[in-house]
Amino acid sequence: MKIFLKILLASSLAISASAKEIKLLNVSYDPTRELYTEYNAAFAKYWKAKSGDDVSISQSHGGSGKQAQSVIAGLEADVVTLALSYDIDAISQQAKILPADWQKRLPNNSTPYTSTIVFLVRKGNPKGIKDWDDLVKKDVSVVVPNPKTSGGARWAYLAAYAYALETYGHDDAKAKNYITKLYKNVPILDSGARGSTITFAQRGIGDVLLAWENEAHLALKEFGDDKFEIVTPPLSILAEPPVAVVDKNAKRHGTMEVATAYLNYLYSDEGQEIAAKNFYRPRNQDIAAKYAANFTQLKLVTVDQEFGGWTKAQATHFADGGVFDQIYQP
Amino acid sequence: MKINQLLIATFVGAQFTVTALAGDATTNSTEAAEIEVLKQEIQKLDQKVSEIETQHQAQQPVADSADKQQIQDLDQKVRILSRERELDQDAAATAAKSAPKITLGSGGFGFSSSDSNFVATIHGLIQVDSRTFSQDNHIQGNDSILLRRARPIITGTVYHDFDFNFTPEFGNGTPGAASAATTPSIYDAYINYHYSPWFQIEAGKFKPPVGLEYLQSDTYTLFNERSLVTDLIPGRDVGFELHGDIVGGVVSYAVGIFNGVGDGQKNTSNIGFQNDREFDGRLFLQPFKATSIAALQNFGFGVGGSWGSSSITNTLDLPNTTGGSNPGFYTDGQQQFFAYRSGIVAANSHWRLSPQAYYYYGPLSLLAEYAISDQQVSTNGLTHSADLQNTAWEISGGWVLTGEDATFNGVTPRHVFDPRNGGWGALQVVARYAELNVDKAAFPLFADPTASASGAQAWSLGLNWYLNKNIRVNASYSHTTFTGGGAASATTAPASVSSHPEDVFFTRVQLSF
Repeated sequence: MKIFLKILLASSLAISASAKEIKLLNVSYDPTRELYTEYNAAFAKYWKAKSGDDVSISQSHGGSGKQAQSVIAGLEADVVTLALSYDIDAISQQAKILPADWQKRLPNNSTPYTSTIVFLVRKGNPKGIKDWDDLVKKDVSVVVPNPKTSGGARWAYLAAYAYALETYGHDDAKAKNYITKLYKNVPILDSGARGSTITFAQRGIGDVLLAWENEAHLALKEFGDDKFEIVTPPLSILAEPPVAVVDKNAKRHGTMEVATAYLNYLYSDEGQEIAAKNFYRPRNQDIAAKYAANFTQLKLVTVDQEFGGWTKAQATHFADGGVFDQIYQP
Repeated sequence: MKINQLLIATFVGAQFTVTALAGDATTNSTEAAEIEVLKQEIQKLDQKVSEIETQHQAQQPVADSADKQQIQDLDQKVRILSRERELDQDAAATAAKSAPKITLGSGGFGFSSSDSNFVATIHGLIQVDSRTFSQDNHIQGNDSILLRRARPIITGTVYHDFDFNFTPEFGNGTPGAASAATTPSIYDAYINYHYSPWFQIEAGKFKPPVGLEYLQSDTYTLFNERSLVTDLIPGRDVGFELHGDIVGGVVSYAVGIFNGVGDGQKNTSNIGFQNDREFDGRLFLQPFKATSIAALQNFGFGVGGSWGSSSITNTLDLPNTTGGSNPGFYTDGQQQFFAYRSGIVAANSHWRLSPQAYYYYGPLSLLAEYAISDQQVSTNGLTHSADLQNTAWEISGGWVLTGEDATFNGVTPRHVFDPRNGGWGALQVVARYAELNVDKAAFPLFADPTASASGAQAWSLGLNWYLNKNIRVNASYSHTTFTGGGAASATTAPASVSSHPEDVFFTRVQLSF
């Protein structure tokens, strides 16, 4: 009996001595690869120090809309960090694996960082592109992803549309005419932002890429500022990529605590600094001020102001038969 | 410039020609006037040529620029077409990923949806055995070549979390049980809800969570037949079970409610026979599984048990009577050496306890198990009753001579059998010792001491040859001695079997996938 008890005690000690190894899956949109690669390492270190447990985070990237559909179809994301709230709403409504009020659970509508849409042009800006009206000139070729599948593309579309509304006194017919001309200049639609960057930067197609601000900066870093330059238009859109824990998946995996901490840590000083270094505009004002040189000031309109929120914008412009379907002819 | 010079030369030449035609005539005003006219003509022509050259030079860059633009446009078109082709290929690759998958391999023939939410796999198990007895007092029918197991097995998953298994048996089936021996029957038929590794709910017919040796798959047991310990363990039964693996299998648990079956028996009718149920459970620990201590990672120990109560007497729950519907206790050679008397019934409580352990490290495998079965029995009419405790234990081990790792799930040969290329598979030597002791209080009222043995002791030696992951050939020898038992003149089991030691030579050819 004593021997048995000793074995049992040794076993218990062995069990308690072994730290847990936790696995998380972050399903994100296209251009966040570099951000979350750096952030995941920082969070794993933080969590190890805090809890003693090892956490390894897998990343999945693609067009935001496609990623949302994958989660709805069963991809077991513990957290989603997508390009726009509509995609997370779709997960909530269709798969019912996180509550409808998910956006209220974290500060700033669960958007720990923001971004906007800028122009990436070839060095020297040979077509002289400065503002949105330059994109509809006959000799300008524009590269942008498909708004049906890409969150970034939807932001770009709405930024262009918002410019037209502002320019033409909110005359929707004129705005529609403008957006029609713009997409006539688009020779190819990739499914995601990273694909469009490849089309423009690596395949040498087009005169201007409508890109996430961070994606444009990363392109400069990767391909060299002797090849491209960023043009920031006077007006663009405030892009708010939100984050959320996928409750049912996280509970099932036993990762609710660490998944919640993972997203909360995005708001920490370290999380905000990593976001800023990767050219996302941080919410923390001190860190935003520290990295102010990275971000050109411009007028930023919001989806709520110009389009009455994402649900309405989605239904009007991107749903089947919506404005985009009417104006775009491949 | 060349045109200009040519024209000037032409007209200068014309001037000299005119002069020559004039001969040596004295210059006069007419000639001078003509020369002046010619000079003016030359100047006009020179001017005209200059203008033409200027126009030509002005037109040339326009043509170059247009060509360049055309080339750029064509270059963009080629690039766009190339990129579109690239995107089409990506889309085709993505579509291929979403297509259903078919897999063929040593693990079976499988079909699955692209997201693996729906899976069906066809497995199979065929065991062709032989048993050759020596000095068996001329018992008829025990030497045999037999189809021990013949099972098409379908496993799978629906909606990601619901696993299933359907296993019919077309082989020899329940050893010794005449009614089941030749009748195809359902061995496994269950649905398992797989919420997480640590929380699963199973319903249907499957192995109750009690005995370690019994829970090992028929495909991977070291010997053709399980040891005497399994005579005291409940076989496949119909019920519900909650089970799971915690911390990656460091702790495994299972608790279930079943119809309840007798020792060493299985539920062949797929239905209960009494109002009361049996509760089974098992806890198994592998404390070093998650550590880096390789020598201890596959050391596990635990305990299984069951408890049930019969509010009415029954006979189906009790191994009884020669030739009855339920077998008694069986030797390695699958011969009955113990049975209760006719009319003895199980009554009231029946519990079992089975401490168990295994150890696998490199080519070494060890498995040990003890079982105690506490059974209340009565004579028919409940005139007499007793609480009997039958016990059994075994220890078995193996060593893979060719160096492969031994595991609870068999041996995978490093070099599959392929004599043309020098591959001979894996060889394993195996040994086992086991005992079963019947409670002395069973005799003589509940069991006949002249017919049934009160104990059996068996040792076995064998050689297993794993040709590849799917084909295995076994040969083994078992020697069993008995305590008590029948008279030498007996011609029917259990007396005929227990009247002398049992010596059996087994062989097996097995296909499993």
